[in-house]
Amino acid sequence: MSKDTSRINMDIEAGNVLKRTRTIPQKMRAVLPFMSLLLLSVIIVAVSVGTVYVPLDRAFRIILAHMGLLQDPSLPQDQNSIIFLVRLPRVLIACLAGGALAACGAVMQGMFRNPMADPGILGVSSGAGLGAVIAITLGFAAQSIYLLPIFASVGAMLAVAVIYVLSLRKGKIAPLTLILSGIAVSTFVGAFIQLILTNSNTYELHKFVFWTMGGLNGMMWDQVRLITAPVIILLLILMLFSRDLNLMQLGEEEAQAVGLDPSRTRKLLLLIASLLTASAISVCGPVGFVGLIVPHIMRLITGPDHRILIPASALGGSIFLVVCDIISRLPAGGEISVGIITAMLGAPYFLYLLIKTRKEGGIF
Amino acid sequence: MSTDADKKLLAVDGLSLQINGASILKNICAEADNREFIGLIGPNGAGKTTLLKSINGINKGSGKVEICGENLAGMSRRVIASKIAMLHQDTSVAFPFSAMDIVLTGRYHQLGRLKSERPEDYEIARKYMEFTDTLKFETRPINTLSGGERQRVLFAKVLAQETELILLDEPSASLDIAHEEQIFKYSAELCRNGKTIIAAVHDLKTAVRFCTRLILMKTGQIIADGTPENVITQENLSEAYGVKALVYKNRISGMVDFHIPGQADITRGVKIHVIGGGGSASGVIRQLYESGFDVTAGVFAHGDSDLGCTEVFGVRALVCQPFSEIDDRAFEENIELIEAADITILCDMPFGHQNMRNLEAAAHASRLVIIEDGRPEDRDFTGGSALSLYNALKKKAIVIDVARLHEVLP
Repeated sequence: MSKDTSRINMDIEAGNVLKRTRTIPQKMRAVLPFMSLLLLSVIIVAVSVGTVYVPLDRAFRIILAHMGLLQDPSLPQDQNSIIFLVRLPRVLIACLAGGALAACGAVMQGMFRNPMADPGILGVSSGAGLGAVIAITLGFAAQSIYLLPIFASVGAMLAVAVIYVLSLRKGKIAPLTLILSGIAVSTFVGAFIQLILTNSNTYELHKFVFWTMGGLNGMMWDQVRLITAPVIILLLILMLFSRDLNLMQLGEEEAQAVGLDPSRTRKLLLLIASLLTASAISVCGPVGFVGLIVPHIMRLITGPDHRILIPASALGGSIFLVVCDIISRLPAGGEISVGIITAMLGAPYFLYLLIKTRKEGGIF
Repeated sequence: MSTDADKKLLAVDGLSLQINGASILKNICAEADNREFIGLIGPNGAGKTTLLKSINGINKGSGKVEICGENLAGMSRRVIASKIAMLHQDTSVAFPFSAMDIVLTGRYHQLGRLKSERPEDYEIARKYMEFTDTLKFETRPINTLSGGERQRVLFAKVLAQETELILLDEPSASLDIAHEEQIFKYSAELCRNGKTIIAAVHDLKTAVRFCTRLILMKTGQIIADGTPENVITQENLSEAYGVKALVYKNRISGMVDFHIPGQADITRGVKIHVIGGGGSASGVIRQLYESGFDVTAGVFAHGDSDLGCTEVFGVRALVCQPFSEIDDRAFEENIELIEAADITILCDMPFGHQNMRNLEAAAHASRLVIIEDGRPEDRDFTGGSALSLYNALKKKAIVIDVARLHEVLP
C-alpha cells in the first residue's frame, strides 16, 4: 500500500493506461498449437498402421486428396479405401471421444475440486450401458446403426437425472452425495444389465461386451456424422464456462463474493458434461481412464487455468485415444479393444500419481 | 450510486438465521450510511462472520437485507457482486493462479461469458495491486505467497470489484503490525472518500482507533451500536466478553482505551499507600492492584501522569495544585492515609520543594518500603534538604529495587 487513495483517483482520472499483459504465460499459449500438430501427426500414423501398412506420406496424400486439396490419380485404390472407409472414421471417432471424455474430466474435476472426479461418477457409463444392452437384446441395434447410440444416450441421461435428483439438498448439489449416489446407482444399474445379459444369447452377449470394452472397431462415417456436431458444439459451450470454473477453484464463498452462482453453474455444467459424455460413449462404449488421467497430466503442464486446461485436455484426450488405438492394432494376432489399452496405460499412471501425491501430503 | 437521503446504503431488518437448529443470528436490525467505517466486534461465536455473509447474501436467513433500497433476495450473484465486495477470513487458495488472475476475478461481475478481460480491467487490477503493495507479486502463483501477502492480494481483489459497500472479515488476521496498520488506515481513507466498510475486527483497540462506529455483538444479537466512546464501556465489555475491563480516555492518543487487569485471585485485606509522582508510581500501583491489595496514593500534582494510572485502576489519589507546594489539606489527608495503611511505599521519584512534604508524611508510616533504582543524589533538586530527609527515612525502612518489590509484600 504505497500510494494513497487520492493518488489512485488521480491515476483513474488521468487515464494512465498501463500496459496490458496476458495473464496466461506465453509458453502455455504455445501448448495448444503444439498439441494440434502432435494430434495431426498421430492421426496420420494411425491411418497408416494396421494389417495393411500404408507409408506415412502416401497416407497423408490420400487424406489430402479426400479433402480436395490434392489431385493424384496414382494413389492405389485399395489403400485409398482402407484409409478412407475403415481407418479414418475410427480415428476420427477416437479423436472426438477422447477429446470429449478428457474435457469432461477436466470440467468435473474443476467443478468438484476433486482430482478423483471423472465423467464416470455421474453414472453416465452405467446408464449408457443399460441403454445399449436394451437396444441389443430387443434387436434394435441390428435394425439401424443409429439406434444403439440413441438408446445409450437416453440411458445415460436418465441415470444422470436420477443421480442428480438424489443429490439435491435444498436446491443445491451436494458433491459428496452426488459421488455416493453415482456409485449406488451405477451398481444398481450394473446388476440390472447383468440380469438382462443372463437371459441373452451369445451373439448379444458378445456385442455388448465389445461395446463396454470401448471398441473402435467397425466405426463408420455414419457414427462420425452422428456425434461430430454434438461433441464439437458441447465442447465449445463447456469452454465458455472456463472463467466460472476458475472461480470455483477459489472456493464456494469466494466465487459467490465475486458474482458467480456456483450452484446454478454446477447444474448447468453437469447437464452439458453428461450430454457430452453420453454423445462420446454412445458410439464407442465407455472408454475408461481417459477422463481421469488426461486432465491430470494436462494440469501439470498448463496449470489450473481452465481457459487453457479445457482445450488442452480435449487435444490431449484425442491424442491419447488415437495413440491407444494405434497400440490396440499392433498385436499380430488381431486387434484388442482400445478400452483395454487405456486401462492398462491409465491405471498404473494413476497409481503413480496416487503414491506421488501421498508422499507430498496431497489431497488423495 | 444512491445518494437519496431516504435510502440507506444498507438496511438490515429483522435478520435471523438458524444453522442446524442453532440460532446464529437473532433479529438483527442495523443500517449503514455512506462513508461509515463500521467495526463489528464481539467475542468468538458472536455471529460476526455469519452476519457479514448474510449481508452479502451468501447465508440466507429470514428477514430483509436492502442495499440502496433494493432487496438483496431478488438479485443475482452478479448484481450483488457489483454492489457488495467481501474479503473472507479464509484466504487459502490451493491452485497456482497468479496474483493478477486472482485480482482480476474482482472484475468478473463486469464481464460477459464471451468477453475476455478488457484493458481497463487490467488497469483497475494493477491500480489496486499497487495500492496494496502487491504489484510486485503480479505473476507469482498465489499459493507461493505468505498468508499476509495473500491477504493483501485478496484485498486488492475486493477493491477491484469497485463496490460501494465492502465487507471485511478479520482483514488483519494474518498481517504483521505494519500491514495491519496500513489496511486499516487505507480502509478509513476509502471511507472518507465515499465508500462504506463493515469489518469484523478482533482487536478492539484497532477498532476504536480506525472505525467511525462500532457494533458490538454477543450470541447472535447486537448489544451496542454507536460511536466507539458509547460502545466501549465497562458495562458493555463486561456483558459481551465477561471481563472486568477498565475503560478510560487514553491521555496519549486522546481516544477511549481500556485495560483488562490481571485478575487478583484474592482480596488480601492489606492496605498499601503509595507515594510517588512523575510516573514513578504507575507500575507499582498496577502491580499492587492486580495482586489484590487495597491501594491509596498521593500526593500528586494535578496533571501528573501517575494520576492517569490511578484513574484507570480506580485508586483513591490525593491531588494538589501543580507547580506549588503541597497544601495543608492534602498533607493532612496524606498522613491519615499513611497511618491507616499497613505498608507505605515510597517510589523512586525526584524531589523538589513542591513535594518535600511527601517525604515528611512518609515518616508517619508504620512500615515503610523505599524503592531505590537510581542514586537518590541524582534525584534531589532541593540542594540537599530532601536528601537528608530521605536518608533519615531509609534508616527505619526496607530499601529495595522495584523488580524485587514482591519479595517484601505479604
